[in-house]
Amino acid sequence: MRSRNFSSWPVVLILVAISLPILVMYAWLVIDSFTDTPPGALLPDEVTLSHWRFLIDPSVTGNVWASTLYTLIFVASVAAVVVSLSATAGYALSRLNLPCRRFFLAGIMVMHAFPAVTLIIGAFLVLQFAGLYNSLAGVIAIKAGMILPLGVWIMKGFYDTVPWEIEMAGVQDGASRFTVWRRLVLPQVWPGIIALSILSGIETWGEYVLPRVLAPTTDFPVLSVFLNEVKVPDSVNYNFNLFKSVGLFYTLPILVLFVFFQNRLMTIFGAGTKG
Amino acid sequence: MAETTAALRALRPDTASRPAGGTRALEEPEATPRRRTSRLGLLMLAPTLLLLGVFFLVPAVLTGIFAFTTMSSATGISGGAYVFTANRLDALAGSGVPPETITELRTERAVVDAAGLAAAAKAGVDERFLADIKATLLGQSFAGPRDFKRALQALPNHPRRIFELKQAMEPFSHAILNTRFATRDQAAAAIRSVAPDIEPAVLDRLLSASYTGWVWTSENFVRLLTQPQTLRLCLNTVFYVAVTLGFSVAISLFLALATFYLPRRTATAFSALWLLPKITPVVLYAILWKWFTWEGGFLPILAGHLGLPAFNYMKGSVPTAWTIVIMVNGFVGASIGMILLTSALRAIPVQQLWASEVDGASRWQQVRRIILPQLKWPILFFTIYQAMSLMSSYEQIWLTTDGGPGNTTDVWALEAFRVALFDYTGNLRYGLGAAMALILVAVGLIVSLLLLRLFNFSDLVEQPRIET
Repeated sequence: MRSRNFSSWPVVLILVAISLPILVMYAWLVIDSFTDTPPGALLPDEVTLSHWRFLIDPSVTGNVWASTLYTLIFVASVAAVVVSLSATAGYALSRLNLPCRRFFLAGIMVMHAFPAVTLIIGAFLVLQFAGLYNSLAGVIAIKAGMILPLGVWIMKGFYDTVPWEIEMAGVQDGASRFTVWRRLVLPQVWPGIIALSILSGIETWGEYVLPRVLAPTTDFPVLSVFLNEVKVPDSVNYNFNLFKSVGLFYTLPILVLFVFFQNRLMTIFGAGTKG
Repeated sequence: MAETTAALRALRPDTASRPAGGTRALEEPEATPRRRTSRLGLLMLAPTLLLLGVFFLVPAVLTGIFAFTTMSSATGISGGAYVFTANRLDALAGSGVPPETITELRTERAVVDAAGLAAAAKAGVDERFLADIKATLLGQSFAGPRDFKRALQALPNHPRRIFELKQAMEPFSHAILNTRFATRDQAAAAIRSVAPDIEPAVLDRLLSASYTGWVWTSENFVRLLTQPQTLRLCLNTVFYVAVTLGFSVAISLFLALATFYLPRRTATAFSALWLLPKITPVVLYAILWKWFTWEGGFLPILAGHLGLPAFNYMKGSVPTAWTIVIMVNGFVGASIGMILLTSALRAIPVQQLWASEVDGASRWQQVRRIILPQLKWPILFFTIYQAMSLMSSYEQIWLTTDGGPGNTTDVWALEAFRVALFDYTGNLRYGLGAAMALILVAVGLIVSLLLLRLFNFSDLVEQPRIET
């Protein structure tokens, strides 16, 4: 049979060829943060930890730990808001009888496809009116609002798969709908809650435009802004090694998630297709 | 279509998908009209509706409204005042306002009246000096500050210091130039006081020209239609979306097929690698591309060793800049496409492939005759969806080429963002930016309608579900 003898190496070769930019970029991301390369050379000639000095010496690029804390607060708040609101709204839309259900669902779909650039211009003005401009709270609210349509959608999908019999049994035993949701249904959708937390966590961790535009001068920038503004004293050129160490530090949590949940991430991001 | 029914199920609470089994009786109540609204449901939905309303709908609606205003950081967002600056008056002089009126507006006259005296007393001007002024100058008016100053200096108790004299002059000044009037009426009254016989039409023109706040206008759209830059932006955007789309569809299809057929380990390694562009934070992703293509970075050094032209590929020439823009965005697109198409591939019943192998089909025949026909709809879905998100994407371009060199790689969404929120000159034109964003929404809506027509709202509904 031909297909048994199908040789895979030409395909692998093409795969390697088109993956080369990614391979090179990510390999050198790690290599360059631990080494020094003479100008004009491709390969490093010296191993050093000096590019990681920014961790203990704030004079290099600023206080990275404060920024990390800010980013954690940002990410955790957005995830908390998104998950708790999606978990309740998703259940309501999936199981409870509401007027205009179809309308809500269609509206949430449209919101998910709404161009972010349009939203951010309006958001800028709303936050100015509301006095939340230049505060982390404002950015959290806008970011949560942007992820929420997708979150509700995902959670609704999870509730849809919970067997009705579980709820029927609960109601038969005299529990209220709320108790049924809290005690019986919610434990069934844990995978969804974890998936949504990871999805919104990764999305928010990488967010750059919102904090940059809506909170440009807070006390400490979030890590994305921090990274983009890494400045090297007495140097006009980019010090890519420093950039890469800060970048690696910044993206480490995501890489950890990536290693642990690699297969899950595929399905999670299949849900969150937003370019 | 099987997918349609699945999605329809997703839209009806009582028929929501569940393990197949003998509980069909539960579906029956759906048809009966006497179901009551669940109060718990409203309660559970309320916080979401509130957040989405305030931080999603209101911004979106406001953008639509502001598209019809002249709002910018110069006009402010809450309203304005009436101010005649020298520049504005110069501009008015050329547009049919009588020159005498302009001259009148420019003159800084001083009138000594009771109101001026009271204001001066309040401002702390020396009392004896004020008494002098009241005694000798009350009721007089002076054509210019110089005359007034001379008259004041003739008084016996006038202050020695020029600063104090100026301070004493101020309350009597009736200048219109550079004075802020809070309301239209105040401004009109001030103009009438210097030019009593002004024509109402001219007065109107003066008042509108002096207003510093925003006004309603359709000028933004007219401007977008007439300025030559628009055509350039449109062409750039169409080119960018089309080429990037082609690039990511081709690569993602190849990736999905290759990882489907390759041994499990190799396949996992490659699909993991291609997940990276999607999950890497955009700032780091942009920096990696900068390192890859800037002078002193990987590719230029490599090109230098090979004797090829080495320069800053990202900003040095238009073709290389476009190539990089397309690759930067195309890789992310390929990442998403690979995920979507892989799951679509897995949904194809594997028995079909076994059967074809028994019949002696080659891999190419399998792909061509069995897989591709069944991937037609997922590919189309991905194409349209990705076209929409590319059309409104700007982050990657902003962080890499920033539309350069010149504005050769500038696209519509990036320009809207910059005009409204990130202008280097410092004047953020919210109104114009909102108009550009509104056009983006309009095009997006047309594409979405197309998407809904093609796929049926319900099919689309099925798409973003997570299987666990």
